[in-house]
Amino acid sequence: MGATAKKRNRAEFRKKIAAATAETSGDASISGSPTPATLLRLPQKKYYRQRAHANPFSDHLLEYPLSPAHMDWSTHFPAFVNPDPTQTNAAGAQKLLRDVEVVDIGCGFGGLLVGLAPVLPDTLMVGMEIRVQVTEYLTTRIHALRNQQQHLLQTSSSTTSTQTQSPIPIPDTPSTQPEPSFPTTQIPGLYNNITALRANTMKFIPNFFSRSQLSKIFICFPDPHFKARKHKARIVSETLNAEYAYALRPGGLLYTITDVEEYHFWILRHFGLRDSDGDDDNREELEGEGKVGGVEELFERVGEEEVEADECVRVMKEATEEGKKVSRNKGNKYVAVFRRKGDPEWPL
Amino acid sequence: MAQNFQHPFQCIQFVKKKNGDSRNVLVASAGPKIFSYAAESGQRLSIWPQKGADLPDANDAGSNPENEGPPEKKRKVDPASEQTASAASGKKSATWTNIPILTSTPDGEYLVALTGEDKCIRVFQIEEDGSFQQISARLVPKRPCAITFMDNNDILTGDKFGDVYSMPLIPSADPRNAPKTAWQERAKKIAATSLTVHTQRNLRSLEMQRQRAGENHDKNKDLDKPTYDHDLLLGHVSLLTDVAFVSLSSSDPSSARKRSYILSADRDEHIRVSRGPPQAHIIENYCFGHTAFISKLCIPQWAPEILISGGGDPYFLVWNWTTGQILQKVPLVEETPEATKEVAVRSIWAASFGPRRLVLVALEGTPFLQYFTLETNGAITPHQPLKTSGNILDVHVREDINTVLISVDCIREPGSTQEWRSTPVSPATLLEAFQLKQDTEMPEWETVSDSMISTINASETEVVSATTESKEKAVLNNSLYGLEHLRKKYFGEDDA
Repeated sequence: MGATAKKRNRAEFRKKIAAATAETSGDASISGSPTPATLLRLPQKKYYRQRAHANPFSDHLLEYPLSPAHMDWSTHFPAFVNPDPTQTNAAGAQKLLRDVEVVDIGCGFGGLLVGLAPVLPDTLMVGMEIRVQVTEYLTTRIHALRNQQQHLLQTSSSTTSTQTQSPIPIPDTPSTQPEPSFPTTQIPGLYNNITALRANTMKFIPNFFSRSQLSKIFICFPDPHFKARKHKARIVSETLNAEYAYALRPGGLLYTITDVEEYHFWILRHFGLRDSDGDDDNREELEGEGKVGGVEELFERVGEEEVEADECVRVMKEATEEGKKVSRNKGNKYVAVFRRKGDPEWPL
Repeated sequence: MAQNFQHPFQCIQFVKKKNGDSRNVLVASAGPKIFSYAAESGQRLSIWPQKGADLPDANDAGSNPENEGPPEKKRKVDPASEQTASAASGKKSATWTNIPILTSTPDGEYLVALTGEDKCIRVFQIEEDGSFQQISARLVPKRPCAITFMDNNDILTGDKFGDVYSMPLIPSADPRNAPKTAWQERAKKIAATSLTVHTQRNLRSLEMQRQRAGENHDKNKDLDKPTYDHDLLLGHVSLLTDVAFVSLSSSDPSSARKRSYILSADRDEHIRVSRGPPQAHIIENYCFGHTAFISKLCIPQWAPEILISGGGDPYFLVWNWTTGQILQKVPLVEETPEATKEVAVRSIWAASFGPRRLVLVALEGTPFLQYFTLETNGAITPHQPLKTSGNILDVHVREDINTVLISVDCIREPGSTQEWRSTPVSPATLLEAFQLKQDTEMPEWETVSDSMISTINASETEVVSATTESKEKAVLNNSLYGLEHLRKKYFGEDDA
């Protein structure tokens, strides 16, 4: 069968890349020795294809920390590890110099993260994705991007001071390996501030982030789950918004973008904006499910002007893979940004 | 002829009468029925549903008849109830085979039961003569896993889909969510457009949806939507296993009002602490520490800021839940180097007998009641477990007479959830009682063998044939012992 042969090829390719990455595992960039050409090349999506939908209710073989205090971020952000070896967390892992505070829920192939990395170079950002192979792609991609930046740094420094050049000749990347995407400019942050991990955020987001840890949450082009029977699987819902509110600090922002108009209204409704846009049918649907909780008192919608001026919104619209695809197909993009308000007082 | 088994009590509940009523009543569910007994004499007072009634709901006074629908899932009816049904000359048997939840309001005024397969929450009042007066029957769309009460007596349910709902104990005659006929007639709008789906297959199915939407108005759909008042308070994306409601005095001295909280536990190791309604969307913290499903949350009345939780882990945890801090991690099985059998906590009870405060723990499918002394500072001391004649199914603590009533499984071999005893014993042991000895240094128990226990044990519940087919046996076993199904199972490679 062609399909299985294809599948095998993909698996073999991925294994090869993973092995190569594991061998050097970031040490190469620090020790200053030249990076092998394979590690400079960006991965190709065709080897990492996976079905677009995952069942958020099933038990995957997930890895997740017992609690946020048990999460080992040091392997994700080696450039930000606290140099003091006594600074360890509940699981004995090295602590970071700062906390992760931006999350892209359902990051897919990572367009948003890669786009945001230079925009917020001092902020640690993590993309969470439920599909194994997609996460693997993004991890490989981020490693390659970091290696490219490191390589650029080395070559530029070596041209200025030829004395420090290592005896081993640096592989002539452009001639042996045609690399059209090889960057020539240095990016602020060198992509050291982004990472990806596999997670089911609908179930386990509180295992990763403590209360009020996050300043931004992105939900970009979520799986629309068109069928009414599948609406429970949507990543935006009144009950899940309570969890986002828990992880988001007061003043923090939650960004959403979708190309499905109905889902956009769904998002607005589930953040408590019930009277907008006169979508009567669905309003009744919500009421039929009983009086909804008051999650609206935790969020307010950010005004249009502020949204338009936000650099993150531009990246969200233009740099994400889905955003590009929607533009190609001349679809619509619906953006809604919500600001976390402070918790209300206990009822007296 | 081989003797038959008696269906053991799945739940036991003590209904204490307050307002000068003459007696306390012990209520127990066995198979598809609920029995009431006089708590002093053990004499059986009543059975619900009544044998002669055409339908279990025939004496259903206050509920809306349109709520009563056929159960969504057709399941094989308990062979035992089939037998009794045929004995009652072709009368319809109940549409459920077990009653997994039986609880009563804190004031003892009302009894709330969940009937299994039809997923129906039923509220009863116990009459003077011990008979059951069904006040309401509400079908819920998803199977509740826990039912508790808020401080205004509203029912709080946690269901299989992870949602916590509240509903008034007595449904109002005029529900505010009355379904609109226009809403049912409404043709479903199609959310997808050619702008959002692109592949040929998706476009084709979109075209088909449009055609279908044009011709038919789906009338049957949404008819099972509840017609009574109910509020969605919070939700997990996981099966809920237990829900607790607590009120604490405010730490702020200027406020006399108590602060209420909802604690919800799920299959994915989470214990969430949310504020009580109307602020249930505010999550205060999580209690992290379990590595397997949680099955039971227990908050002692004498120390409402302490939580005792257990589940699929070989230990239970004592928490200060307001901070999420673990005070104690208490092993439930002896640690041995070789791989130990997996255990699951069936339930946890907290009891105070005078100055003595005990935590009682029963593991699923074991005939031992483990008990521990819990000091006010959170320190915990284990004691030699109490042994019973069969697997412990439920426990009721009577603090007033220093006694625990234990419902034991008289069908299965002690220590097994699957193996049946070779021969039934007559009379069957349905209940055992133990009394705490007075003035001993360590807590010690002595068996109580009074007429009340022997009268209840001598009375028959539901007959389970000793020659039941193995397939039907498995169904019966599952209805009593379902906890292992909560454990996560992985099949082969995981790349979906």
